Amino acid sequence: MKTRREFLKISGSAGLLLATVPWFSAFSDSKNTEGEKARIGVIGPGSRGQFLMSFLVKNPKVEIVAICDNYQPSIDEALKMAPNAKVYTDYRKLLEDKDVDGVVIAVPLNMHHEIAIAAFDAGKHVFCEKAMAITPADCLHMYDTHKRTGKVFFVGQQRLFSERYIEAMQMVHSGTFGEIEGIRTYWFRNGDWRRPVPSPELERKINWRLYKEYSRGLMTELACHQLQIGTWALKTIPNKIMGHGSITYWKDGREVFDNISTIYVFDNGVKMTFESIISNKFYGLEEQILGNKGTIELEKGKYFYETVPPAPGFLQLINDVEHKLFDAIPFAGTSWAPETANENKGDYITGKRPETDGTSVLLEAYAEAVITGKQPEQIAEEGYYASVLSLLGHQAIEEGVILDFPDEYKLDYLNHKRAIQTTL
Amino acid sequence: MKDTIITGKRKKIEIITLAACFIIACIVNIYAIIKFNTSWSEVFTSLGYVLVFSVALYITWSIIRLAYYLIRNLLQRRKDSN
Repeated sequence: MKTRREFLKISGSAGLLLATVPWFSAFSDSKNTEGEKARIGVIGPGSRGQFLMSFLVKNPKVEIVAICDNYQPSIDEALKMAPNAKVYTDYRKLLEDKDVDGVVIAVPLNMHHEIAIAAFDAGKHVFCEKAMAITPADCLHMYDTHKRTGKVFFVGQQRLFSERYIEAMQMVHSGTFGEIEGIRTYWFRNGDWRRPVPSPELERKINWRLYKEYSRGLMTELACHQLQIGTWALKTIPNKIMGHGSITYWKDGREVFDNISTIYVFDNGVKMTFESIISNKFYGLEEQILGNKGTIELEKGKYFYETVPPAPGFLQLINDVEHKLFDAIPFAGTSWAPETANENKGDYITGKRPETDGTSVLLEAYAEAVITGKQPEQIAEEGYYASVLSLLGHQAIEEGVILDFPDEYKLDYLNHKRAIQTTL
Repeated sequence: MKDTIITGKRKKIEIITLAACFIIACIVNIYAIIKFNTSWSEVFTSLGYVLVFSVALYITWSIIRLAYYLIRNLLQRRKDSN
């Protein structure tokens, strides 16, 4: 697992990084915070919460001082990682705890808003798993409360801290791939997305992702990560949203779609698509940025230029001779000579196969921000728009309409200007 | 197993043969560079392919020579027995 320190060594100077990823300003005081600790309370140490805790416990600048859950098996597992943490079953009690500087919220989506607002109002810094909330209005309320209270606010968009995503964006922004003409994202799985339920009354509590009361399904759980790539690459927010969703395969009582396709249109006509089917996994997941000079596939961590240099003349000659000799023979088998057709294998963005997704560095950044109390630039806005775009995609699907990005949800960010100042 | 002697003359012939194969392979590489209009740097960057091709040529030439000597010996034996 790559730490922020190792990451900086690879990526060059911290100054160069800050120009590309302003949210790395979280680390600008990291030398001065040596020996200090961010005292974190984890609200919702279920499977995702425990995943986040696995990084937090390795960070010498973090102390997990409290956990909160109302599901005993999750508490038991979390205590194995943080045996000294105080245990709460009511998040309000945890928020009253003066030993807690900041919280990590990893509860079902429908509870993010309520807990985050309460945390801000209790003077705590907030790391909230994506998506931010279950409605755009709730997202805006959370963002505004963060601004009003001045407390640190992170959303779990770990790709913003991934080495290969950052290097890829540096290439995109420097014009390596020419004009960006399209962004295709997809996430295909073959599974029912269910978790084992020990008793039937726990169905909705454990499989909350499948029910509209708690989740927006594939849009908030998967699209949220990928849509953010488009706004990062193009440094602009799409303003038209359309889509369709249906339940085509997993007709098992779930309420959220298992088959989704959405299109986001930027002002210059470039489109970003998100597609997800969870009854076929052949294509897996990917984010593709398509430029007129090249393509990036971020999940594979590879890029491909449109024009491929020809094979060496020597190989071309061998291939030529082989074709002349064997092409007319019907029983000739597989070519023994190297194929010189324009096979484009691409290159790894970081020079090697992808290893991590940025979660460890994201949590290091949050810990630094909790210690210093300084909000890194743009991190809340990126999280906000990733969530609101996924929620608007869901709305477009539900209503069967082409949505214009509503003015009331615009922030002063990139190509957006805030139309309405909310009274806080 | 019977001891065999590789004479100095044989060694010289084999070294010259291998060198000739290498030169032929280099000429083929230069021909390919001209024919396919690729970079002259391939004179060096394709040396790996050239070496493999040289060895392939040498082996092919050795098989031809071996076959020639075998046939010649067979014919000689038949002539001697008559």
